[in-house]
Amino acid sequence: MGIIKKIAIGLCLVFTTPAMATGALGNKNDVVLVVPQKVGGGTSVWASIVAKELEKYLGQKVVLDHHPSARDIGGFNEFHNGYQYLDNHIMVSHGGNGVSFLQEEVEYNYADYDSVGLMNLNIIVAKRKDFKSPVKFAAGSGMTPEAFAIAMLLCDPRNTPKGYAICFETKVKWVKGMSGGERRLAFRRGELNGTRENPAAYKKHVEGDDNAEIWFHHGILVDGVHVDDDNYIGYQFEDLYEKKWGIKPSGNFYDAYKLVKSFRDGMQKALWVRKGNPNRDRFVAALEQVATNPESVAAIEEKVGKYYWYTGDFGNEHRDTLMSLITEPALKTLITFNRDALGLDSVYKENLVD
Amino acid sequence: MEVAVLLMGVLYGLLIGIIPAAGATTGLVTVFSFLYLFPDPYLAVIFCMAVVAASTTGDSFTGVLLGIPGANSAATTMIDGHPLALQGRSTYALTAAITSSTVNGLLWGSLVFFLLPYYGSLMLYLGIPELWAFTILAFACVVFISSNSWIRSLIALGIGLFLGAIGTDPNTASERFTGGWFYLEDGLQLMPIVAGLFAFPELIAGLKRGRIAPIMTGFKQRREGFKAVWENRWLSLRGGFIGAFVGMLPALGGAVGDWIAYGQTVATNPNEKFGNGNIKGVIGPEGVNNAQKATSMIPTVLFGIPGAPFAAVLLSLFAYLNFELGSIDLLQDEKFFSSLTFGFMYGSIIVAIICLLAMPWISRLAQIPFIYYAPVLFAFIVWSCVQYTGGWEDYLILFLATLLGLACKKYKFSRPALLIGFLLCERIENLTIQMTDLYTLNMLMSRPLFITLTLLTLGVFSWGLLRKSQLDYV
Repeated sequence: MGIIKKIAIGLCLVFTTPAMATGALGNKNDVVLVVPQKVGGGTSVWASIVAKELEKYLGQKVVLDHHPSARDIGGFNEFHNGYQYLDNHIMVSHGGNGVSFLQEEVEYNYADYDSVGLMNLNIIVAKRKDFKSPVKFAAGSGMTPEAFAIAMLLCDPRNTPKGYAICFETKVKWVKGMSGGERRLAFRRGELNGTRENPAAYKKHVEGDDNAEIWFHHGILVDGVHVDDDNYIGYQFEDLYEKKWGIKPSGNFYDAYKLVKSFRDGMQKALWVRKGNPNRDRFVAALEQVATNPESVAAIEEKVGKYYWYTGDFGNEHRDTLMSLITEPALKTLITFNRDALGLDSVYKENLVD
Repeated sequence: MEVAVLLMGVLYGLLIGIIPAAGATTGLVTVFSFLYLFPDPYLAVIFCMAVVAASTTGDSFTGVLLGIPGANSAATTMIDGHPLALQGRSTYALTAAITSSTVNGLLWGSLVFFLLPYYGSLMLYLGIPELWAFTILAFACVVFISSNSWIRSLIALGIGLFLGAIGTDPNTASERFTGGWFYLEDGLQLMPIVAGLFAFPELIAGLKRGRIAPIMTGFKQRREGFKAVWENRWLSLRGGFIGAFVGMLPALGGAVGDWIAYGQTVATNPNEKFGNGNIKGVIGPEGVNNAQKATSMIPTVLFGIPGAPFAAVLLSLFAYLNFELGSIDLLQDEKFFSSLTFGFMYGSIIVAIICLLAMPWISRLAQIPFIYYAPVLFAFIVWSCVQYTGGWEDYLILFLATLLGLACKKYKFSRPALLIGFLLCERIENLTIQMTDLYTLNMLMSRPLFITLTLLTLGVFSWGLLRKSQLDYV
């Protein structure tokens, strides 16, 4: 090969490869939403809708920066360890991050950030009308609240946490390895007889199915207490439990359930910045406009359903309420049940209780 | 305006399609960055569907000309297509490939888009056991068909399965085979594996060879390509049927359909050799490509459940445009369906016309010494491989995958088998868990399609063990 050719090839490689590889993300004046999952994931779609709405009020381009990793933990860790110090970066988290925060070794910590805003949602659980025992339900760490609720609805309330785990194993087939799409299809086909969805997905995938009906919902967290959902009145877990067993749910097992459902649904979609970020007030103001503009609200509700934003300091207060639910017995019960009944490699993190 | 958007989608899709290791999925991911430019969301639908149709057709170019799968699943076309290019018959191979793919795409596209509302009950009939059996059948096909040494194929499949198992254990949600490296927790990414196994080994081989083929006249070959498809029309239509059927099954994707189609091509021609440039080995599996893309839209549109990886990206693109796939409202939106049909059908026709008209000149690329365009290909491939994080880890994995690809090529281990193992590892593991959790043997024995597919797999095994090898490709 001639020397000219070698130089030409070398130059071509040097200039084209890095330029093409790094040219995807916008410029430094853009606001960046750090998304901890692949393009096309549920939270990514939600973030792209929010970004489009935020742009109208910020007067700046809002771009998405995807950082996919296992169970969406890595992206949040990266924000914690670096991106949070860039003032134009906002973290987008979802309910799964909240569950991982409680039961896995993660580096991020909600207490370290300021809320721009968060959506406090509910999750609805459905069953087939021809439902017969055992319960056949898709597994996954994000399904932990459903496992707790189902155990409490099916098993004697006098059970210890260990007893609940044994009872759960006999009454529930916890089917692993299912994506959201597979779960929906398996439920429609009757291979699963229970499923759960956020309110918008529930409307789309369950309400149109003649063979399905609501089983229960987890309720909406208001000032530390779960209350009934206007959209599904009379189906809140706590009410159904009381109706079945004649007592109100209580004890360590219930506290563990309340803890994990609050961290998943109470911050189902959330935006965070570093404490002291000088742009926070501007971001909050823009999000408040998004949250009150009917058109913007409609665009977001189409994805997640009709629920409300907690913006700015209200978001921080809501986060603080959730943190106050972390107690040693509740956290230990959560981890024990995860390990014994659900086969998860959960870890007890003492520092969360401190 | 619609026509202009359609043309832009076709040209963009074709460009993506001919980039080695890239395909419809890569092309659609990039669309996110300029989606806001479309003044009307229905125009964006037309554009996206044209990209799907054109990139699928464009795949054939890299498979035939370079011996590199254009997308993650188009590994079968190159087995007989690339040897034809090496013999100076690339126009012949490409004409046959594009004609077979386009005809089946239009046929199944018409059926799918016009009869979409009636497919719901069929989808609900196919359960977890059938999906499992389809995947096992694809494994059997790739092991016994992709190489003349099934033992080496089996080892390659095993390596692929191991690589695919790296990441997270679905049973415990804990890391597996990552060696504590956080980067691997989400598993190895597809692009570096495809590029390492196929693209770089072929680029290196191309550089050694200097050029692909001697100059041959293209127009005569084009006629012969059409004639070959006509003479093997039932083979092509069978490929289309297989592609259409597999496309309807959620998340199985083209990889399974391609290999089943290639398997039936080899099996139905027992007296012929494959892997050295048999045109039937191009026509059969190419029938799958566009047909599979068309029917993948069924679970995607009806249920909001992606039928293939590209469909998952399409789902979120459409969600961004406020088209909620799977919702009842959308099923009543006639303009959405006409945009979908217009983009895919006319996109397929236009890209086929462009390719067939320009083929003799495009094929002449094969005569240009590799040294002139290898750097550009190299840059494109590296670009598509480092879209995951853009960090040094992406480059390292690409390097290691290339070493693996070179070793497989040198020691004659089937690279397609390795790729299929990698691609379908998670799927088969999850399906096995789901099937054993939810079904007893008695329940499985009452499912006719499951039994048929299992018997077919056993048939492929026995045939593969007893036959004299028909294939020279490794």
